[in-house]
Amino acid sequence: MSLVEARDLATGYDGLRAALRGVTFTVQEGQAIAVLGPNGGGKTTLLRVLLGELAVLAGTCTVAGRAAYVAQSGRARLDFPVSALDVVLMGAYARTSPWRRLGRAERARATAMLDRVGLAGRAGERFGTLSGGQRQRVLIARALLQDAPLLLLDEPFTGVDRASEAELLAILDELRAEGRGLLVSTHDIEHARRWDRVLCLNGVQIAFGPPGEALTPQILHATYGEELVTLGEETVAVHAHHHD
Amino acid sequence: MDALVDPFSAPYMQRALLAVVLLAVAGGLFGAWIALRRLAFFTHAVGTATFPGLVVAGPAGIAAPVAALGAAALYTAGLARLLRDGRLASDAATGLMLVAALAIGSILAGDVFESGAEVDRLLFGTLLGLSDGDLWLAGAVAALAVGCTAVLGRTWLATGFDPGAARSLGVPAALGDWLLLAMLALAVVAALPCVGALLVSTLLVVPSATARLLAGSMRGLLAGGVALALAEGVGGLLAADELNLPPGPAIAVLGGAVFGLAALARRLR
Repeated sequence: MSLVEARDLATGYDGLRAALRGVTFTVQEGQAIAVLGPNGGGKTTLLRVLLGELAVLAGTCTVAGRAAYVAQSGRARLDFPVSALDVVLMGAYARTSPWRRLGRAERARATAMLDRVGLAGRAGERFGTLSGGQRQRVLIARALLQDAPLLLLDEPFTGVDRASEAELLAILDELRAEGRGLLVSTHDIEHARRWDRVLCLNGVQIAFGPPGEALTPQILHATYGEELVTLGEETVAVHAHHHD
Repeated sequence: MDALVDPFSAPYMQRALLAVVLLAVAGGLFGAWIALRRLAFFTHAVGTATFPGLVVAGPAGIAAPVAALGAAALYTAGLARLLRDGRLASDAATGLMLVAALAIGSILAGDVFESGAEVDRLLFGTLLGLSDGDLWLAGAVAALAVGCTAVLGRTWLATGFDPGAARSLGVPAALGDWLLLAMLALAVVAALPCVGALLVSTLLVVPSATARLLAGSMRGLLAGGVALALAEGVGGLLAADELNLPPGPAIAVLGGAVFGLAALARRLR
């Protein structure tokens, strides 16, 4: 089943000018799609239109069910007095009346989600005191509690060390295996090679297809322009300027 | 014990005590959101912005809370206009509007309406003459603080913690933000008779900012803010009565001292 179907999609921030256009792709159950592109190329814009925050200016875009958004963990306020469990419980807000307490069942589910991402022992710790990788896993646990069939991950590997990165990748593989769709915006071409499809954006869609077809030097040049650095014959790397 | 109870035998002090208790509930609860959402400067500025409205209210025969709310709304609209083209930083715009409000207020008070001694009362509050209306307004705002924290607390928490994800979490982020600002304006107006336009922060900001230094959870922050606002409010009231001061400055000095001690305790911990 298609979780996302976009045809010649155009979207933008002021409702008039398109910041991103000509986007045609699908996300099937159990598929992971890498979204590649330079800063300002439209990666976050695409995630926001899928969340329903931006208007569709042209074309069509259908999302089956509610998508869960996993922001970069550095974007969350680290000084809030909330524990890892408090953050995961936010995933249950949509299905609990605001005047009712989050019950024992939701707490048990939230704890189980923390266990799934390997953080069962850290439930009571302040979110802000966890490492970058642990915070990212807490945010993934929150998305899991939302029970969303589609997860939109905005540069999940930013500020994450190598060991945590491997753990995160293993978790994402598990989610894919259980049929969830993943849309992962990233700067890392090596990561993109692991996923089922790659969507290259630079204001317009440059390419969409399996990594073997979409990660050619020509397409990467068209996607990144000046930001691309070519090392030797085969390897290509990208200057990753992280926006703040 | 008598030293604590005696001052409250006078009816005017009983009214002041009731006002402080109600405002402590509102201040402690809303203060938590002010501290978390970084709205302390905004709250202080809205308080100051009500000053010209209050000066005009008496001579114009408008109810003070209505005039104060009007001035707060004008202030917020002016701030939004200054920020619209993005050339002015929000703290600079807030500062500019704050100075303008004080200047307009003092010119109106000094030269147009010749308000005289009245100005002190408007800026720093009074123990005397809190009307039934003042108490009802404080009560209503306290009830709203309890109700809103119960119903909107999750929205305010999720939106403040991770604004990008708020919508996907299913909380009404934009509506929640508007309601928060409206509630803060109401709380400021309710606090005016007691602590004055310049010192609304003493009840709405300082206690929760202090609680924030020590609290490890949302519950601790909310409860700690209310407890500190109550202790500082009642302590300041007693000091004001004893030393013949307006209550605003007395509560402010006490709140500042407690904040200093809490900051020191946190450093030593």
